[in-house]
Amino acid sequence: MRERAGDLALKRPGRTRLRDIRKNKYIYLILLPGLLYYGIFCYAPMYGIQLAFKDFRASEGIWGSPFVGLKHYAYIFKDQEFWQAFRNTIEISFSRLLFQFPVPIVLALLLNELREGRYKKWLQTLFTFPNFLSWVIVSGMIVNVFGTEGAVNHLLTLFGGNEQMFLANQELFRPLLYLSDIWKSSGWVAIIYLATIASISPDLYEASYMDGANRFQRMLYITWPGIRSAVVLMLLLSVGNTMNAGFDQIFNMYNPAVLPVSDILDTYIYRVTFQTSGDFGFSTAVGLFKSLINFALLVLFDRLAKAVGERGIF
Amino acid sequence: MGSERNSDGQTRKINWFYVLNAALLGLLALTILYPFYNAVLISLVSQKEYMTTPFMLWPTEITFDAYAYIFSSSRIYHGYTNTLLILTLGVPYNMLATAFTAYALSRERFPGKKIATALVVFTMYFSGGLIPLYLLVRDLGIMNSLASVILVYGANTFYLLLMRSYFAEIPSALEESAKIDGANDLVILLRIMLPLSMPIVATVTLFFSVDRWNEWFNAMLFLREGDKWPLQLVLRSIVMSTIDDIGSRNVSIRKTVFEDGVKMAAVFITMAPIMFTYPFLQKYFLKGMLVGSVKS
Repeated sequence: MRERAGDLALKRPGRTRLRDIRKNKYIYLILLPGLLYYGIFCYAPMYGIQLAFKDFRASEGIWGSPFVGLKHYAYIFKDQEFWQAFRNTIEISFSRLLFQFPVPIVLALLLNELREGRYKKWLQTLFTFPNFLSWVIVSGMIVNVFGTEGAVNHLLTLFGGNEQMFLANQELFRPLLYLSDIWKSSGWVAIIYLATIASISPDLYEASYMDGANRFQRMLYITWPGIRSAVVLMLLLSVGNTMNAGFDQIFNMYNPAVLPVSDILDTYIYRVTFQTSGDFGFSTAVGLFKSLINFALLVLFDRLAKAVGERGIF
Repeated sequence: MGSERNSDGQTRKINWFYVLNAALLGLLALTILYPFYNAVLISLVSQKEYMTTPFMLWPTEITFDAYAYIFSSSRIYHGYTNTLLILTLGVPYNMLATAFTAYALSRERFPGKKIATALVVFTMYFSGGLIPLYLLVRDLGIMNSLASVILVYGANTFYLLLMRSYFAEIPSALEESAKIDGANDLVILLRIMLPLSMPIVATVTLFFSVDRWNEWFNAMLFLREGDKWPLQLVLRSIVMSTIDDIGSRNVSIRKTVFEDGVKMAAVFITMAPIMFTYPFLQKYFLKGMLVGSVKS
């Protein structure tokens, strides 16, 4: 940096820039694989977004297809199934925030109170493991535990309860969604918080010992302020994902019986595109609508975070 | 128990809290463990035994029929072969696109750094969406070939940012001296930066390997023929299907086979590699998460 500032003082900025580029030509070579990837598979598809305003005709391609303005949107906003998916997406996302978000924090606080040793290591290994399995695997196991002949129903009847169709029951399906995601991912997220707790200076804890603070006071006045910004960052990331309510999980767990409470925009887009109409223009329009809302929410909550004095994303 | 003294000479009133906490976490551990245990057991018992005691804790009779049935069909072999192919070609490609870009973006002296970083981060929050990607893959002529699955997942922006913050911490004096010896950036990256960054390189390689092992969605979009499917997609079709679709050629087994047993055998076969390597790899995952969260 210092060297560059010196250069600037001596020479005209334009020539320095050119010299910098020539001097670092190998960096462009190193950048090539990433450039190709991002160019082809991230930016090139953005060209296809125009389909949201066109009637896609395979024979004429993306560019040649006729322009139809807001026709798809006029149709989308009249579609009952779209509104249902939209409502579900938001409801499920916010319920996840309410029910799932605090769990890893509590788990990290509890794990932190364990003495270092084999038990703690063993628990950490076990808790983080399910995160590395696909939803295909996990949903396969869930169907077994919660199925009509599964262990949970067996227990229920054993204690005099009634058998429940957890996976086909509109009232029980969502709790099952949250519970199984807690089961799968809390342990891993807790590790992030644990790492943050570990970076809090031990001096603070010792000083509080001296002042006679108890376990909960220490948690409240030292641990919590220590992890607060990590919590806010995680919250921000979750809110920025409001429109992605968990495609992999829902797609592998849902069935026609629970469609009214489980269909989210992503599953709706998939179904509309590949199972029912196959109208690419229409599905692209829904996808664009989803991306834009997501992006707007992210910017909004980033501003909010900064307004209350946190770092934010941008 | 209430008033033991610990080494600091302080009264330990925390004992009950500790015991309760350890017990609670132990209980949670059991709820994590049980579905796995349950899945393995179901894959190993007969339908009759399962129907009489679904909440099994110990099987009375073990049978490998479900596994015999699965392995009598060629689908699981195809699945394994395709997944291994995706893994061996995909992970190096992932690393090339991710680690190399991360290195370039971590160099202060790289002129386009700011713009390039912004362009990369933007893709985390905005994308063309499902259909434009689908059309692109079709136009590239790689539809219905493994190349589509391998190529579509290249760089991972989140891992890239982890690596970038790691590279940025390495003292630039090391580079300078290599430069004086006549090394160019490519040599510096391969001979100095990557060997010095083994913790993060190992972690991200592991992350990518798990991602590739778990790959199913792109495959479902792009691959028509079942014998090109990766393992997870094969598993998905087994779990979602009734027994006739699983497609065993051995009709005599098909008659007597226990459907849930077969499904759980497939689940076990699909997760076994992760299950058996994870305890050994876990510390790398944790280390990677730590360097990432502490530094960025």
